[in-house]
Amino acid sequence: MVALMQTPLRPTPPLRLVDAPPQPSSAAQEAIIRVDDLSIVFDVPRGEVIAVDRVSLAVLPGEFVSLVGPSGCGKSTLLNAMAGLERPFEGEVKVAGEPMVAPRPDIGMVFQQPHLFPWKSVRRNIAHGPRALGKSKTEALRIADDLIDMIGLTRFANAYPHTLSGGMQQRVAIARALANQPRVLLMDEPFGALDAQTRAVMQDNLLELRDRINATIVFVTHDIDEAILLSDRVLIMSAGPGRILRDLSVALPRPRSSAILTDPAYLALKRDCLDLIRTEGRKAFEQMEAAT
Amino acid sequence: MSAGGSSRTTSAGRLSVLVGALSVPAFVGVWELIARSRIVNAVLFPPPSTVAVAVLDWIHSGQFFGDLSASLFRVTAGFLIGTAGGIMLGVLTGRFRLVSSLLSPLFHILRPIPPIAFVPIVILWFGLSEAGKLFLVVWGVFFTVWLATHIGVQKVDRGLIRAAQMLGTPRRQMLTEIILLGALPYIVVGLRTAVSISFYTLVAAELAGAFAGIVYRIEIAQQNMQTGQVMGGLAALGLLSFIADRSFAAIAERAVWWR
Ligand SMILES: Nc1ncnc2c1ncn2[C@@H]1O[C@H](COP(=O)(O)OP(=O)(O)OP(=O)(O)O)[C@@H](O)[C@H]1O
Ligand SMILES: [Mg+2]
Repeated sequence: MVALMQTPLRPTPPLRLVDAPPQPSSAAQEAIIRVDDLSIVFDVPRGEVIAVDRVSLAVLPGEFVSLVGPSGCGKSTLLNAMAGLERPFEGEVKVAGEPMVAPRPDIGMVFQQPHLFPWKSVRRNIAHGPRALGKSKTEALRIADDLIDMIGLTRFANAYPHTLSGGMQQRVAIARALANQPRVLLMDEPFGALDAQTRAVMQDNLLELRDRINATIVFVTHDIDEAILLSDRVLIMSAGPGRILRDLSVALPRPRSSAILTDPAYLALKRDCLDLIRTEGRKAFEQMEAAT
Repeated sequence: MSAGGSSRTTSAGRLSVLVGALSVPAFVGVWELIARSRIVNAVLFPPPSTVAVAVLDWIHSGQFFGDLSASLFRVTAGFLIGTAGGIMLGVLTGRFRLVSSLLSPLFHILRPIPPIAFVPIVILWFGLSEAGKLFLVVWGVFFTVWLATHIGVQKVDRGLIRAAQMLGTPRRQMLTEIILLGALPYIVVGLRTAVSISFYTLVAAELAGAFAGIVYRIEIAQQNMQTGQVMGGLAALGLLSFIADRSFAAIAERAVWWR
């Protein structure tokens, strides 16, 4: 299985989507997120489920990395482990040199559902983090107001979450995660529940936002377009148990916008990516068949 | 055609309001007629006018307010103590596995015993003191509120808890804000049930022996064959618990303020 992971599928075509070069050890040392041989196993009534299977990866400070893979392949579990919400069964996750054993406020998380506190207004939802970290009420609300302006919801500052649309709620969730100025922002299919139009707008917003904040971002999605559009690197995961199949650099110029979605070079990238997923997916499937 | 339909609905609506307003007076009138017609024994079944006189006497004698405040105190204090305890332990058993393993089996055994069944032992323990009456009301309220809170806490959206954890929410705030407010919609339902339970345990507590109270007055009147006073007491008790239930419903609607 390890051999399979290391075998290149085919010679790298002259595309701007390329296998990431193996990181030199100096770069590996400055990685802000290190996942080493991580396995996560869940106990279920009928035995155990291996959700993450010996995954290793490193993310450099300031990088935007996407995790792509079929449903149930362990993307959320891997992300939760980086967040300190899930404990390793084997292996280790280190963020900024510290092993993750519990959630830390320097790591922000945006979930697939907004999970806003329904009893708090938009403003107070965003101020929750700074308040929890001991900032004064005035200070926390000032941070919140700045972020509300940034996400364009000034008119809704005092609205309660259930009066907002899904897209607006998700923007609040992003602002709430940013309020603690995290060094690492983990995003678990943040736009997965949105319609295509809202989603496109949110992607543009995130690209813009990214230039303004100084965070490393790990972004889970199963939308290949989204992954290529946003990321510096795309990690492609196999169908469960989750392993990382390929580590691809996206060498598209920045700043990007969703306009590139119709660019021929981009389409070529996407096709290559989809081929890869299909081939690898089939392999994983056959492997599973053979095993049973 | 639609205009005719709508005007018919309006007139039907007006009619039902009218009938609704007449419901109680009509009932009282019929009762008065039957009682005065001597079809029934007027001592056992006094007309409303007799009941009204008895109630006025009750008020003028000054006993009414003593009885009312004694009963109100028992219900209110019992409700508040039982609620505080129920919410506190419900949060603990709902949130902490170990506390739940320790207490839940015990609570599940004690909870189904009707609180009235504790009257004899309460008399042994507390005599006719006020503490015994409070105990009964607290007992009835506590288990209802505890169960509602326990279930509510377990149903708090995991995602909310995780979001709060990611934002650095301290443990204490997690319990007192995220968990408690997350469970509030369930707790409120439990509290509404607890309001009526507190009245029904009050009845048991005052029947067991008291020196003042609305139910106590009913019992005394029964021993003296003052049927009018008995019925006046019942009406007062009904009115009281009706008001309590309605005001609680109004409070409950605002308690979950974000919906
Ligand atoms: N708490 C849990 N208990 C038991 N099994 C779990 C738990 N969480 C996840 N799993 C299992 O682990 C595997 C990976 O789940 P995970 O949620 O990480 O997938 P995912 O890649 O995020 O899927 P999706 O794209 O649908 O969100 C699945 O088989 C899932 O059933
Ligand atoms: Mg997921």
